[in-house]
Amino acid sequence: MRTLKTSEAAALLNVSPNTLRAWERRFGYPKPMRSPGKHRLYTHGEVASLRDALNDGLSISSAISRARESVRADTHVLTGALAAYDLARADQAMEAALALRSLERAVEEIMLPSLDEVADKHGADSAPWAFAASWASEWLQRARRLTPAPIRQDCVLIGDATSGSGDAQSLRLRALELFTTRAGARVLTLPVRRMGGLQGVLDAHGPDAVVLAGDAVSDDEVARWAWAVRSAAGVLPVLLYHRGVRDERHSAAAGRTLDDQPSVAGPQVLHAIELGMRPDDASGGQFITAGEDRSASQKVPQRQLRTVSA
Amino acid sequence: MPRPLLRAVPSVPPGGPAVQFCGHCGRTPTHPESSARVCERCHMGVVLSASSDLVPGTAEPFLVVDRGLCVGALSRSAERLLGVIEPDAVNRQVTDFLVPADVERSAQDNLHAILVSAAGGYAPIERTVVRPAGEFGVFLEARVGRCGPSPAALVVLSAID
Repeated sequence: MRTLKTSEAAALLNVSPNTLRAWERRFGYPKPMRSPGKHRLYTHGEVASLRDALNDGLSISSAISRARESVRADTHVLTGALAAYDLARADQAMEAALALRSLERAVEEIMLPSLDEVADKHGADSAPWAFAASWASEWLQRARRLTPAPIRQDCVLIGDATSGSGDAQSLRLRALELFTTRAGARVLTLPVRRMGGLQGVLDAHGPDAVVLAGDAVSDDEVARWAWAVRSAAGVLPVLLYHRGVRDERHSAAAGRTLDDQPSVAGPQVLHAIELGMRPDDASGGQFITAGEDRSASQKVPQRQLRTVSA
Repeated sequence: MPRPLLRAVPSVPPGGPAVQFCGHCGRTPTHPESSARVCERCHMGVVLSASSDLVPGTAEPFLVVDRGLCVGALSRSAERLLGVIEPDAVNRQVTDFLVPADVERSAQDNLHAILVSAAGGYAPIERTVVRPAGEFGVFLEARVGRCGPSPAALVVLSAID
């Protein structure tokens, strides 16, 4: 994927860098990625389609609308391939999407919306959905296998509380695994219903944070698993992902409930590890454990309290 | 070999000299000789051109409408007047925002005809009275003419004295 610096993108569009930043603020487009040095990086495909649209456009809004539409065409191609049960075409559609955007954006902007479209059209209990979800799950796992070896020592333990590969949440969990792995951390996913031999697994991997993902398993079962993890690995930051609970006091910005978007949630997990957040960390205060700060926890929904009481 | 055909077309009406202006803030470019397509002052509008007797004043609300009668651009003051932001207005029918002040069907057709003719570049500047859709008792004078570089109709709104 070819990327452009702000000055290069501005030159291609014949506008100033300030103009590009103003469009980003107002329209959210073109949406830049960030370099390791936090500089904006624009995908060439987005900028080129905007340039073409601007040549005929009567306004920035209409040009951006057209450019977005042309970028969105990849979603239609993938949805069409999945509707035709054509795996080769689906793979090609993702490859085409990757030519224009990063893997994270290709998954979030093309794959997951296409899967949502299939689910909306046929229902999440239909064969077309099962076919599409199976393909997507395999694609994500294949991409994860191709990811270079982790560069960080951090290990993230994910408690899989989804209902399996036919679950829309499980695809988002696969995406979170992929993005966290690509960010350089080791990821270990274990189903929350399997607790036998947990000690040995955790001794071998030494997780630095726990993510509880999915809401297909009851709070009691999740709490038992979380307690078993705590007993085996000690006190760890516990983060919720697609758990179906959103605590008003501790928002996603505080790092306790992860953002629904996997590309945002992945860095949040690593950020939580970097901060060294602990349930008993009074300065952070993002996590609550059983028996601590009962007065504050009165306001927290009972379901969430049980969930994080590892 | 097909025979050449002669077709009668309306002559392009003479107008004042073409003046450039921003399709969002309505101001003239800082450097008119520049090839920039985007306003360097507000960063939010494409530089358009229209005859000097049509070009809007900086405080005058205006819309740009294409031949399909869809809104292509909306000025900042028109956003305030109509209570809608440009990203939400583009590609919607102009009649979602402006309707003839006269409720007769013929007035509606007349407004459409004026806009289509102006967008095609075949009409002189026309004046008509319109009102915001869904609002009653508010009348605005609309000056309608062609603008460019992409062919479109420019609708400049002003209060009726």
